[in-house]
Amino acid sequence: MQFSGKVDIKAPREKVFAFVTDPQQVGQCGPGVESIEVIDETHFKARAKVGVGFIRAKFVMDMELVEAVAPERAVIRARGQAPGSAVDATGTMTLSQGADAGATVMDWQADLTISGTIASLGGRMIEGTANKLIGQAFDCIRSRLEG
Amino acid sequence: MAVEMEVPTQTTPEVGGMGHSVKRKEDPRFIRGAGRYIDDVVLPGMLWLDIVRSPYAHATIKGIDASAALKIPGVLAVITGADLEKAGLHWMPTLANDKQMVLPTDTVMYQSQEVAAVVATDRYTAADGVAAVVVDYEPLPVIVDPFKAMEAGAQVLRPDREDRPNNHIWHWESGDRDATDRALESAAVRVSQRMHIPRIHVASIETCGCIADWDAIRGQMTLHMTSQAPHAIRTVLALVSGLPEHNIRVKTYDIGGGFGGKVPVYPGYVLAVVASLTVGKPVKWIEDRSENLQADSFARDYHIHAEMGATADGRITSLKVRTLADHGYTDAAADPSKFPAGLFNVITGSYDFPDAFVEVDGVYTNKPPGGVAYRCSFRVTEAVHAIERMVDILAHQIGKDPAQLRMENFIQPEQFPYKTPTGWEYDSGDYGKALKLAMEMIGYDDLRREQAEKRERGQLMGIGISSFTEIVGAGPSHQFDILGLKMFDSCEIRVHPTGKVLARIGVQTQGQGHETTFAQIIAEELGFPVADIKIEYGDTDTAPYGLGTYASRSTPVAGAATAMASRKIREKARHLAAHLLEANPDDLEWTNGKFSVKGSPDRSKTIQEIAFAAYTNHPQGMEAGLEAVDYYDPPNLTFPFGSYICVVDIERSTGEIKIRRFVAVDDCGNIINPMIVNGQIHGGLTMGLAPALYEQITYDENGNNLAGTFMDYLLPTAVETPAWELGKTITPSPHHPIGAKGVGESATVGAPPAIANAVVDALWHLGVRNIDIPITPPKVWAILQEKGVAT
Repeated sequence: MQFSGKVDIKAPREKVFAFVTDPQQVGQCGPGVESIEVIDETHFKARAKVGVGFIRAKFVMDMELVEAVAPERAVIRARGQAPGSAVDATGTMTLSQGADAGATVMDWQADLTISGTIASLGGRMIEGTANKLIGQAFDCIRSRLEG
Repeated sequence: MAVEMEVPTQTTPEVGGMGHSVKRKEDPRFIRGAGRYIDDVVLPGMLWLDIVRSPYAHATIKGIDASAALKIPGVLAVITGADLEKAGLHWMPTLANDKQMVLPTDTVMYQSQEVAAVVATDRYTAADGVAAVVVDYEPLPVIVDPFKAMEAGAQVLRPDREDRPNNHIWHWESGDRDATDRALESAAVRVSQRMHIPRIHVASIETCGCIADWDAIRGQMTLHMTSQAPHAIRTVLALVSGLPEHNIRVKTYDIGGGFGGKVPVYPGYVLAVVASLTVGKPVKWIEDRSENLQADSFARDYHIHAEMGATADGRITSLKVRTLADHGYTDAAADPSKFPAGLFNVITGSYDFPDAFVEVDGVYTNKPPGGVAYRCSFRVTEAVHAIERMVDILAHQIGKDPAQLRMENFIQPEQFPYKTPTGWEYDSGDYGKALKLAMEMIGYDDLRREQAEKRERGQLMGIGISSFTEIVGAGPSHQFDILGLKMFDSCEIRVHPTGKVLARIGVQTQGQGHETTFAQIIAEELGFPVADIKIEYGDTDTAPYGLGTYASRSTPVAGAATAMASRKIREKARHLAAHLLEANPDDLEWTNGKFSVKGSPDRSKTIQEIAFAAYTNHPQGMEAGLEAVDYYDPPNLTFPFGSYICVVDIERSTGEIKIRRFVAVDDCGNIINPMIVNGQIHGGLTMGLAPALYEQITYDENGNNLAGTFMDYLLPTAVETPAWELGKTITPSPHHPIGAKGVGESATVGAPPAIANAVVDALWHLGVRNIDIPITPPKVWAILQEKGVAT
């Protein structure tokens, strides 16, 4: 499944870049994240609780910052499992100068593969749920940067 | 509703031989909720096994960490592929002579595949243990589409099968390719059509399960289970495990639906056996619904291209069929070994034409293994769907009434035994009689007039016919075996001194009513009342060896064995009676359960008196007792048939299909119990309605099964099921001892094309030639939109 969108953030690019490449900060905006464990500069582990319809699952996610070109581009790859389910995701964020000074436009793309029980039993609801959760994640990033 | 037809009987209702609607001996326990199924069985000290399953359809396993699971109180063991590999048990043979993983050591091949097993003190703890096992996967590219699997350069899914490169499992063909090509080239009319018979699941209400109980002191393994073929399971288990076969006992209970899904050996059974051998206690494994729907063997999944040639006025001359068979990651089809595509080459159906050619290619994909014969007697459903759709397409193409075209092409009664162009010899049939009866019952001519009037007003009404020929009763030993085991079947009868009878049969009952119908066969042959006859099955320590119940083979094969064993007893009874009557055996005649001296009917002995004498007054030189065994090797298959007519109305605003009427005329040869036959047909028709309109297993592009619950895998309920109208003709099988042919699957095989033909008939004038089953409202609605007739 592929998703994409654009978020206008009233914050300078350097600040946005620093936020999205800091596991502790960006991690807080991940869907259902309960804890973040930083392993090194580019690797961290997240524990998250996600629900699709009547199915709820606790995921343990291995996250990796696979690309970071300050202050314009960051790519995060995530792979995680819950009992019987698995998620593989790549999120790409491209930052450009917004129309106003000190503003940033973030174009994002997410490539998501869901496998196992959640895909099988939650099939009809997955796309809507994923779209909603991803949207919430980027809204979270914006509000934290603007707040 | 059934048209009551006189079914001939030779016995009184009290005796209850063939033709009597004897009430089922099974039903008192079922209607009182006193049936006993595998999950009802609880043994002292029993442990539970639950299975860790793969979320990925294709992935490398980099590691399995069971440490957290083993810390849970009550979790006793976690079994992995590496553990099984040490004993050489990580692979097992499939019924189709392929190999199937019990547990993987390095690669998973489909979503929900077994990866590890957890043994615990109760079901809930076992499930907690499953959730705590951490498996490290590296996902691999997934092949879901069988056509892509066959493309050059496609990833090889089974590197272990060096003899099968390019994901191509086998090629099988039947008939004369060149003659068929020539006939097609010279045909005045040629019609062709692609169709997909989708992957479906047997979806029995009782899922699979077993209890393996290893008694180390006695060296005895008892496998309590739900199985359609307990003896075959015993032999396979002996070969796989190395346990001596006489120390393995397979025992079945009441079965909540088999339909072919309980023929194969699933990894769960082997895991339970290994677990019990390891811990020395009984270990129970019962699938949950989603495991059953996602991981058990599927049925169908044939991609068919058919081409038919005919004369200008619609006389069929030739048929050519090319098929791709999606078998998932291993070929676990429960087909006879010489028939990798089952009896699919019965595809010439009920029609008399000289040239046919059929070819099938089996393909590996990242899906669960299969396919099982789901109430289809080995791929006959796919064949019947193809030929009946093609006949309708031909009729519409040349503007001839589909009933008329069928009548003009049927094999005629005097042509039997009829040799088909693909090599089968049909035993008997009167296809025109069955279709004529169905047309009379439904009022065919009036319906066609109504359809024409409705079409004028823009209303969509369709009439569909299916005049199918089944092929059942596998089978003759020179052609039929599974893993080398010849497909005979058996019966052992013991008559007790007081004239009561115990009979044991090699076939299992899973709803067919064997306890009643097999007693009726004995009642017919020997004159003992049905009430005095007990039928046993399903315990390999006592029942004679048999290949099990599937493919409508119980009555054709074990039913014949029962009649033959009865006749052996009758022959001995003749000699006992001669002794008692002081007469020559040749001077005795058998009528109504007694032997009497020809010309002196009052000098007679009943079968009960003879039975008593067998133990109390047998002549010197004769063995005491009255019992017999028969292993029956059928000389040919049997060929039940029927004609079904379905009337549908299509709702133009929603695409909904309403089945207004459905008439089913069946001919299964001589009838043992008309009530049970009607019940089989009712169930079978509903199971034919299901794939026609509702059922399909779908996968997303990553190989996730999207039909893992009954919310997404649609089964018809009483609400969706129309009132079936049944009729019968009786054309006995000339080679079967009691002239019976088998009926369990006829309706499932015959119904889907009748429904599909009716829907296409309603839409043909709009330019619609074919709609693949299941014909769902969205598919029809999209067509109505495209054709501009949706309201």
